[in-house]
Amino acid sequence: MNPVGDIYTGASNGLREVWSNKVRSLLSMSGIILGVAALVAMVGIVQGMLGNMRASFERSGGVLKLEVHPREAPESQQHIAGISPGMTWRDIGAIEKAIPLAAFVSPIVDMEWERFVANGRREGAILHGVTPDFAGIKKNELLYGRFISDYDIETKSPVIVVGAHLAETLFRGKGNVVGEQLRVREQVYTIIGQIKPLGNSTPGGRGFNYEARFNYISATTAMGRYKGDDKVNRIEILAANTETMPDLIGQIENTLTQTHRGILDFEVRTQEEQMVELKKLENSFTYSLGGIAGISLLVGGIGIMNVMLASVSERIREIGVRKAIGARSHDIFIQFLAEAVVISLLGGLLGLVASVGLLSLARDLIPQGENINLVPVTAMLYGFVFSSLIGLASGIYPALRASRLDPIDALRYE
Amino acid sequence: MVDSGKVFELSAIRRIYKVGSELVYALDGVDLSIHDREFIAVTGTSGSGKSTLMHTLGFMDSPTSGRMDFEGRDVSAIGRGERARLRATRIGFVFQAFNLLPKLTVLDNVVLPLIYGRMHVKDKNELGIQVLQRVGMEHRATHTPGQLSGGERQRVAIARSLINQPRLILADEPTGNLDSKNRGRIMELFASLMEEGITLALVTHDDEVAAYAKRRIRMQDGRIVEDSEK
Repeated sequence: MNPVGDIYTGASNGLREVWSNKVRSLLSMSGIILGVAALVAMVGIVQGMLGNMRASFERSGGVLKLEVHPREAPESQQHIAGISPGMTWRDIGAIEKAIPLAAFVSPIVDMEWERFVANGRREGAILHGVTPDFAGIKKNELLYGRFISDYDIETKSPVIVVGAHLAETLFRGKGNVVGEQLRVREQVYTIIGQIKPLGNSTPGGRGFNYEARFNYISATTAMGRYKGDDKVNRIEILAANTETMPDLIGQIENTLTQTHRGILDFEVRTQEEQMVELKKLENSFTYSLGGIAGISLLVGGIGIMNVMLASVSERIREIGVRKAIGARSHDIFIQFLAEAVVISLLGGLLGLVASVGLLSLARDLIPQGENINLVPVTAMLYGFVFSSLIGLASGIYPALRASRLDPIDALRYE
Repeated sequence: MVDSGKVFELSAIRRIYKVGSELVYALDGVDLSIHDREFIAVTGTSGSGKSTLMHTLGFMDSPTSGRMDFEGRDVSAIGRGERARLRATRIGFVFQAFNLLPKLTVLDNVVLPLIYGRMHVKDKNELGIQVLQRVGMEHRATHTPGQLSGGERQRVAIARSLINQPRLILADEPTGNLDSKNRGRIMELFASLMEEGITLALVTHDDEVAAYAKRRIRMQDGRIVEDSEK
């Protein structure tokens, strides 16, 4: 009794059999190859895409970010709602002064979609008025220049930080556009900063990149030049840490209730919901794609079982000879099982190779696909283990049939 | 030892098959002793039970009733695993259709019973070459059976039956697929192996072949109807 020797003999017999029927083996492997390749490639792509979403979530402040939005005053306060000044520049100062738990505070003065003109070209993009703190909330890396400064706020200077999209479309191929001028609503702005494009793609490259279309000016400039009042559309705040967030929310509510003269015409929103949504998305992707890949692996297993059954009936005589000269049922069982496992292991390995090809294709075809990992180790490990288990499972029935053949009947078989 | 040179002792052996609702008495009360160094030819028409007798002696089949002793031990009712072990270690088979495995080399074919018998042999291949030398086929060790002639294949098959030093070699029409020249050569080989001390039982319907044997057993309707020594 030597199980290691049995398995070694079985595996070498299996390899020999696979090698001497190359075309048939390749065909029977094809299901497993495709299954493993699909599984690994899908998981790799989803991981890459979700990684992008996560990175974008983190850049926008992550779970630490709070947003204060205006809303209708409650029914009971409707008749006196007019005494509230609404959300204004003063709220920013009040929060900064009263609440040390807020690490960064910035208003968003939202001009929404604007038409930008420079070099005789026009391009639509989004314009927000913010304060220097905004750089601490939304993690934009600057390629050139600087962000809005306190001095810009005080002097309402006509300066702008442009996103990768405007930099590319208005100043095609220029590279560094700091110092250039552009116009919005017939007002001239000097570019002081240029935001780095996401990923390592060429600026404004493939696909529609929403984040690259944001451009920023000083909040005071925005209020003065456009709105003519001190209203802000919303306030973004970054908490110092997660533990103190409930306290921070309470303090913001207290402070704003005072500045709004008791009228509750605002609400504090957290990003927790988005976090939960992201998690849900991740799960649903994983389960649905995993299910599809599982089914294709199952189909691959059925393919192997089919070929193994055919192989058993083709080799009934061989089985008879082996039994006649002393092979036990157990020996025949191991031999055929090893053959199925060898087929599925080889199929699994080829599938892994194919998955790298699929992933590099996906990298080129999918916008922002640069984050796709060519070698998702965990997914590969799963794919490989699953494929060998399926080979094992699909080999059991044919191997059992082979091992149960009666030696006399098998020898007589023509 | 109870052995005393007796290989097989069969008494009142019956083997009954059920074909549909009918009972077929393939062996119907066989009494037979086989001793070391005997050369037995079993003859009889088809359906006489000679193949069933060979299968029974070769532990491929079990008797329905009766007593069968092998090497002094009752083997009438041993299990499949034990039968397989005895096939691998104590019995050698030679078939009419040679039955070599086409994908294995001559040497690999010859040593296969050692692997299935879990024999503790230091160098299986060396032993394989030795038995190939006994049948004059060592120069073909690395060929595959497809590259050999019919007579050469049967020599390799005989080498395979010799490798586990069996107590009994069973040959089922070993010359049935050969021309007359090769038939003679194979029978000469068996004769010379007899000199070396093997025990051989062969099934044949060819009188020329049967003439090589010292003892002739004729079967009819599942019974031994003639058992004569030359």
